[in-house]
Formats: sequence, C-alpha cells, structure tokens
Amino acid sequence: MSRMRMFGSRLLGLFRKRGSDANLDAELHAHLDALINENICRGMSVEEARFAARREFGGIEQAKEAYREQRILPFVDTLLQDLHFAFRIFAKKPGFTTVAIATLALGIGANTAIFSVVHSVLLQSLPYPAADRLTVVWSIFSNEGRGPASGPELVHLRDRSRLFEEFGGIWAQSGALTGDGEPEHVRLGLVTSNFLSMLAAKPQLGRFFLPEEQGTFSAKSIILSDALWRHRFGANPRLIGQSIRLNGHPVTVVGILPPNFKIIFPEGSSVPPEMDAFVPFSSNLAQDAPDQSYIRVVSRLRKGATVPQAQAELDSIAAQLRSEFTVFSEQALGLQVVPLHGDVVRNVRPALLTLFGGVSLVLLIACANVANLLLSRANERRKEITLRTAVGAARGRVIRQLLTESILLSCFGGAAALVLGSWAMNLLLSLRPAGMESLVPTVFSLPVFGFTLALSLISGTLFGLAPALGTTSLNLVESLKEGGRSLATARQQPRNILVTAEVALGFVLLAGAGLLLRTLASLLRVDPGFNSQRVMTVRLSASGVKYQTPEANVHFFRELQKNLSANNGIDSVGVISHLPFDDTLPNWYSYYWREGAPKTEQNTIMADHRSILPGYFQSLGAQFVAGRDFDVMDVEQNRPVVIVDENVAARAWAADSAVGKKLNVENGNFVRDTVEVIGVVKHIQSHSLTDQVRGQIYLLYPRAVRAHMALTVKSSIDPQSLVSLIRREVTNLDKDMPVYGILPMNDYVEKARRSARFTSTLAGIMAAIAVLLACTGIYSVASYSVLQRTGEIGVRMALGAKPAEIFAMIIRQSMLSVLAGVGIGLALSIGLTPLLSHLLFGVRPSDPLTIATAGILLFGIGMLACYLPARRATQLDPIAALRYE
Amino acid sequence: MASPRGEVLQGTLDLIVLKTLDALGPLHGYGISQRVQQVSEDLLKLNQGTLYPALLRLEQRGWITSKWGISDNNRKAKYYSLTRAGRKQLATETATWERMAGVISRLLGAEGA
Repeated sequence: MSRMRMFGSRLLGLFRKRGSDANLDAELHAHLDALINENICRGMSVEEARFAARREFGGIEQAKEAYREQRILPFVDTLLQDLHFAFRIFAKKPGFTTVAIATLALGIGANTAIFSVVHSVLLQSLPYPAADRLTVVWSIFSNEGRGPASGPELVHLRDRSRLFEEFGGIWAQSGALTGDGEPEHVRLGLVTSNFLSMLAAKPQLGRFFLPEEQGTFSAKSIILSDALWRHRFGANPRLIGQSIRLNGHPVTVVGILPPNFKIIFPEGSSVPPEMDAFVPFSSNLAQDAPDQSYIRVVSRLRKGATVPQAQAELDSIAAQLRSEFTVFSEQALGLQVVPLHGDVVRNVRPALLTLFGGVSLVLLIACANVANLLLSRANERRKEITLRTAVGAARGRVIRQLLTESILLSCFGGAAALVLGSWAMNLLLSLRPAGMESLVPTVFSLPVFGFTLALSLISGTLFGLAPALGTTSLNLVESLKEGGRSLATARQQPRNILVTAEVALGFVLLAGAGLLLRTLASLLRVDPGFNSQRVMTVRLSASGVKYQTPEANVHFFRELQKNLSANNGIDSVGVISHLPFDDTLPNWYSYYWREGAPKTEQNTIMADHRSILPGYFQSLGAQFVAGRDFDVMDVEQNRPVVIVDENVAARAWAADSAVGKKLNVENGNFVRDTVEVIGVVKHIQSHSLTDQVRGQIYLLYPRAVRAHMALTVKSSIDPQSLVSLIRREVTNLDKDMPVYGILPMNDYVEKARRSARFTSTLAGIMAAIAVLLACTGIYSVASYSVLQRTGEIGVRMALGAKPAEIFAMIIRQSMLSVLAGVGIGLALSIGLTPLLSHLLFGVRPSDPLTIATAGILLFGIGMLACYLPARRATQLDPIAALRYE
Repeated sequence: MASPRGEVLQGTLDLIVLKTLDALGPLHGYGISQRVQQVSEDLLKLNQGTLYPALLRLEQRGWITSKWGISDNNRKAKYYSLTRAGRKQLATETATWERMAGVISRLLGAEGA
C-alpha cells in the first residue's frame, strides 16, 4: 500500500517539478539561515557565521539532487531530459531530421504493409468458429488429386470417422431469382444442412438449415447473403418466412447470413468466395451415384485430434471403401485431409514470405543509411560530446543520450511508416491475387501496430548503437586538440563498410526483382492457346420458366449469335459454358475413355468438359491441329460429334490420329454419351497460364444443354463500345434475361497473371527503394569524404594535381566500396535466388542476364552518385581549401 | 565506534525522525537536526543530503505530513508532523528495534562472558 503510494507520488513528482524545486530551495535556505542565526548567537561575526553554516550544512546542490532523486523516478527524469534534448537537436537540424525520418518511414513502412498482409493472410485464423480445427478433405482419384467427393462418399465418411466432429459439403451452382422485379442471376450454393453453421456462428436473421430440410428432392428453404438481402429486398426484416421464386419455384427464406460472410476456400476448388444464396442439397446424398463427384468437403476435427491422426484414419476408411465397393476401387479412391487455412494460402505463402524477406533487406538498407547520416552527424558533434565527457558525463550516460536520439528518430519514422503503410495497403489490396480473400485492409490493428513499434525500437538501436559507441570511445585530449580532423580517415572506414553492405543488399533485391519481372514478362508473352485481344465476354443465365426445354435454350443462343453477328464491326460470336480463367462457375470435369477401353481404363482420366456452339474457336482464334470445327449442320441435326484438345487426343490414342475415333464423354448431369471426334484443337490454357491442368473436351451444345453460358464476341472495333450493343441485342430477344459479367477477355487473362504481377510489382518497388537508398548512401559518403579531405585536396592541387586526377581519386575511393558491394551482392544473389525458383516461370534462378544487369545497374548508379561530389572536389579553390583547415 | 560523529545507520533514520516528531510535535527540518544532535550529545549528526530526502520519503509513505508555517525567528519554514499511520509505524519500528537491540546486546554479552 505505502509502496503504491510512493510510486504514485513519485510519478506525480515528474509533473510538479518546477513548483517543488522552488519549495525545496526555500526550505533548505530556511535551514541554512537558522544555522547562521545560531552561529551569530554564539558570537561569530556575520561572515564567519555564514561560512561556518555553509561548511556544516554541506553541498546544497548535492542535497537537492538527492532530494530530487527521492522525489521522482530518476530513470523517467533522465529519459525526459534526453528526449527534451533530442527534440532540440532535431529542431536545429531539420534537413538531417527530415531525411532520416523519411528514410526510416520508407524502410519501416514497407515492412508494416507487408507484415499486415502476412498477419491477416498467414497468421490470423480464418473468420470462422474454431477455425483452427477446420480442414478440407480432398478425394484423390487415380490421375487426379484435390478432387470433390460424391454423395455416398461423404455419407460413408460421416458414418465411419471418429476423429472428425462433422463434415459439410458445398456445390457451387447458379440460379435465377424470378418473380417480382427484374430476373436476377444468383450464385447459388447447394449445401449440406450443417455447412453454413460450420462457417458462421449464427445467422444475422432467422436460422440455418435443419437436417430434415436436406434431401427433400426440391429445395423448399433458402438462406440469403447480406448483400442480396439488401439490394434485392431492401434489407426487409420481415422477409424471413416469406416465399420467393428461385428458378421459377417457390422457396421460403429461412435466414439471412451475417454481413461480410465469405466462403474462403482454396483456389481451384470452384467455390467462389461471394455467394448470393444457399439451398440444401435436394437429393438424398446416400443414394447419389457413387461416381458423381461434385461435393467440396469441409470438415472439423474433434478437439485434440491432429491432422496426421485424421489422415491415418482417412487412409483406412479409403481402404475399406475400396475393398467394399467396386466403384471406389475402380477410381482408386484415396482421401487427403489438409488444414483449411493452410490449403487456402498454399499458393500465396511462398510469395508472401519472399516479399517479407525482401522488405527486411530494405529495412536493413534504410538502417545503414541512417547510421551513415548519424555517423557524419556524430563527427560534427564530437566536440560537444567530448566536452560533455570532459565535464564528467559518464560514457554510459552519453551513449544513452545518443541512443535515445536514434530511437526517437526511428519512432518518428515508425509513425510516418504507419501512414505510408496504410497507403501502401491500398496498393496491395488493388493487386491482391486469389488466395488472399481473408486480407483485411487495415494497418491500424494491434499486432501490426506492435510490430511497427518493435521494428522502430530495434532499428533505432541497430543504427544508433554503432555511432554511439564509436563517438564515445574517444581520446579526450586528442579530439579536443585536433578538433576531430586527424581522425577523419580512420572514421571513414565504418561508413565505407555501410556502403558496401547497402550495395550488396541492394544487389540481392535488384536481382530478385529482376527475376520476378522477367517471370511476369514471360507470362505476358506466353501463348495461352487463344487470342484475347478485342474479345468481349458476357455471361447469360437461361434458366427461367421460358427455358424448360433444351430446344428453347438452343434456340435462344443461336438467335442471339445470329443477331449479334449481323452487326458491323463484329467478326464472330462464340457461345461456351465455361470461359477460360473464369473460376466463378464450378468447373465441369469428368472422366472420359476411348470407345472399347477395358473396364480398368474407364474412370481413370478426367478432362474439362465444355459445351459450345460453332463460332467459339473462331472468336478466340484457336488453332486446329486436325479435323474440323462444328458446323451448322452438326447443330441442326444434333450429330453425335465432339472436338478434343491435343492433350486428350494424345492420351486416348497416343500417336494415332484421333479424328474419326469414338470417345465416351459426359454430357452434363452425369449422362454419358459416345461421340465421334471430328477435330483436334491446340490446348487452351484455362486454369493457369503455365500449367496444362487437364485436357479439354468440347461438346456440341444441343447435346449438352446448360443454363449458364457465356458469349465471346470478337470485334474489329473497341470492345468497350460493344457493351450497350450486347445488352440491346439480349433484351430484344428476351427482356427478362439477366445479363452479367460483361468483361473483356483480356481481364480474365490478366487475372491469371495477378499473382505474378503482385509479387513482381512489390519486388520491383522494393528494389527501387533499395536502389534509391543505396544511391543516397553512396552520395552522402562520397560528399562527406570530399568535405573531410578538402585540405588534402587543396594541398594536392597546390602541388600541381590536375582536376582530372582529383576527380579520379574521389571516384576511385568511393567506387571501391561500391565494387566490393557488387561483388558480395553477386555471391549472395547466386546463393539466394534459388529460393525464388517456385515463383519463377520462363527464367532460371541463376539467369546470368538478370544478375549481370543488376550488377551493371548498381555500378552505374554508384558512378552517378559519386559523380557530383567528385566534380565538386575538382572545382575547389586551392587557396580556400587550404584555409579550410 | 570508529568515529564519534557516527553516520546514521540506514533504516534507523526513519525511526529517529518519527520518534523526534512524536516527542516534540510539529518541527521543521532544522529543528529535527538540532534535536537529534542535542539528544545524541553531538554524537549523531544528520547530513542534510540525507535528512531532506528521508523527510520526503516518509511523506510519500504517508507517515508524516508537511505544512508551511512561521518559525520562532519569524521565517517561513516547513513544519513536519506525525500522521496516524506514522504513529502506528513508529510503534512497529520501535518494537522491531527493541527486539533487534535485545538480540544484539545478548549476543555481545554472551561473547563477552
């Protein structure tokens, strides 16, 4: 209690300092006066009395100091003093202060921004209840990993597993809201009744699905997203319990999801993050065909169960299923469980960690630069510090003062970094590639704040310690006498080392960024198998009551194709079920086999299935390897024909020609069909620009009718001018048809480059910052050395040195450390760039061209940075230079 | 004792100040040091650099309070007086001291015998 009171009183003492100093003074003087008085009474003279009293009393100042130390917390007092002093120093040198703070803001700000991404994407758990126990179960088929599960598979998993608390499943589909108002396309999730409750604590309104609502053979209840509820139903709270029309059928709204609800699933799982509405699976999953795999499975482990344990259990369940059911053994079914979070970030993690490593190098360079600035400042301040030491300041006290200054500097830098970081965050958000759905756009969160603060403190110590130690280990007499000049050359050494380090680190960043930029360049050059220039795409949903028969669908799309083609400027119009690089619709892929393949070869290889009308290949400029495109007669007579890509042709018939052969394919909704191959096209990249994920099979639309289709409109005019034209033509044909997603094909291709663009842009920015910092570092060291050698240069000139010789001398001296940096950087880069290999495409990690370019660039920048100081040296007036001493 | 003018033992200073204030009522710093000198017959001498911080410490602990007043020779002076907590503390410290002193003197007596 009394201890607490003491601390409080001392704390208050910090603020009451001025008043109580005066009080103490009065009190001590009263004491002294009393002593004098008494001495006079004893018969001393006034002078004697005063002298004796003083002697008896002892040092007034010492007494005061002891009193002050008791009054307040001495540590805080010293700190306040140091801070006060530091502020004055900074205010006196605004140029130095601004440059140092700006440098630190760049270095720390880059780290703040990248860390906030790392934190929100990699470190923070997903925004789901007990998210750390959420896992994804993938089915592995003979030639396919990461596949969906079939209904019976999911039911078996549920029945046999002990280590999982629950399994949920989703199949992303599309639907149309009809009834009141404009018909609207909705992204519809077909889910198990427990799926939503696994990913959200509770609905915003109403309830989640009940188990008995699943498998009723026609959906009767629906749960809406917050966004759909707001824009279509005006956020009407009385919507719960009301009936709306989905694809023309009445369904009851039972719940509204919370705002910001997102389904964060791994890339390539065909589950888009933003879904508009959910309905329970209408079929009885246990009675689904066991080879119809379409359900993406999310699971929650029991408390205490680990992923390896769960994997062992799934392995044994898969073995049981293979031995009990022929379908599963034919599929060679395997099961794989992975943590949901880890799976979501598996593609972005390497890039993020690389960038994080890169920004730490940037910070090191920034620290080196500020250390450099402080070193030159320290030289200027040497007299001041020597004087302080001479009048009795302890070395530790001076170091503490200097460190306080540098840490204060870096804290200012950190504060500016937060502003810079939040601005950089906007850039990061706009570049965000897939797999970063959980990115929260804020730098003002506690962990990020703490990280920035820690970074500021660490870097303040880092760049402040060396100059502080250096400055205080002085020979007092020498440095007072010499005014600091004679030590100049020796003092130049640490600064040269800093330049070498900066150049070396800059080299690594430049080489890394160069490789990533060349990767992006390769991705820009890579041939995706089609030409996306001047192709406009639009998505249509022919799913209303008017499209109950396949004929109605075929008729609509053929008419639309015909009408659009009649317009001037439109070269060709294609119709396809899945656009390349569009992952908002669930991918449609299935097994295929050549006719007559033995049972063991069936159900082994999958291909993407697409449904098209003639005109698609033409609009995208796809190339035929053999055979022909579909034609009007194929459509009108609904001929059993198919087009495959070279991948499928090679797998099914190896070297034989595929044209004329028969292939067993899936016609949609799990109906199989045997069709004749009439053409082979070059593979069209549709999931990634770099990998051929699967072969492709193009089905004739009338044989594989689907509601959700896309148009590809190739024009000879600016595609943007087509937007209104396309809308008009669609409305002319069917005024109720929802038109959405009008996007140039280029946008889809660009999306596939996003990840590479993200890493290469950021790496490029980092390298630019690094080069800028290295450049200023080299410049400041060179100009400082010219300043220090002014006298010497004067002597040399007086003795007849030519300006060119002086110029060469300065350049040689400065470039020596730059060259050393280039050498070390070269070695470091060759050692470190292999770490980038999984991020690179079309360029080797040790690409000599990139690394050589980085070296030449840094060398050139070094020359540029010391050119001005060297020129200044040649322009010195020898007389003035000699007087400079 | 090596020096007749002994330095005050750490910890006993509090007791001395508290006891002085208890015996004489409110006193200023000068008065306290005079009184201690007087009672100890000049054997104990309080250093001002020790006395004033000690007074502040006691005040911070809430054992004494201070008030500005006028001294005998008509000067402004700061008077210290014991608080209720101070009185309690004095009792505790006196008891502790007596116990300690008893132990020490018994120890010394035993050694002497």
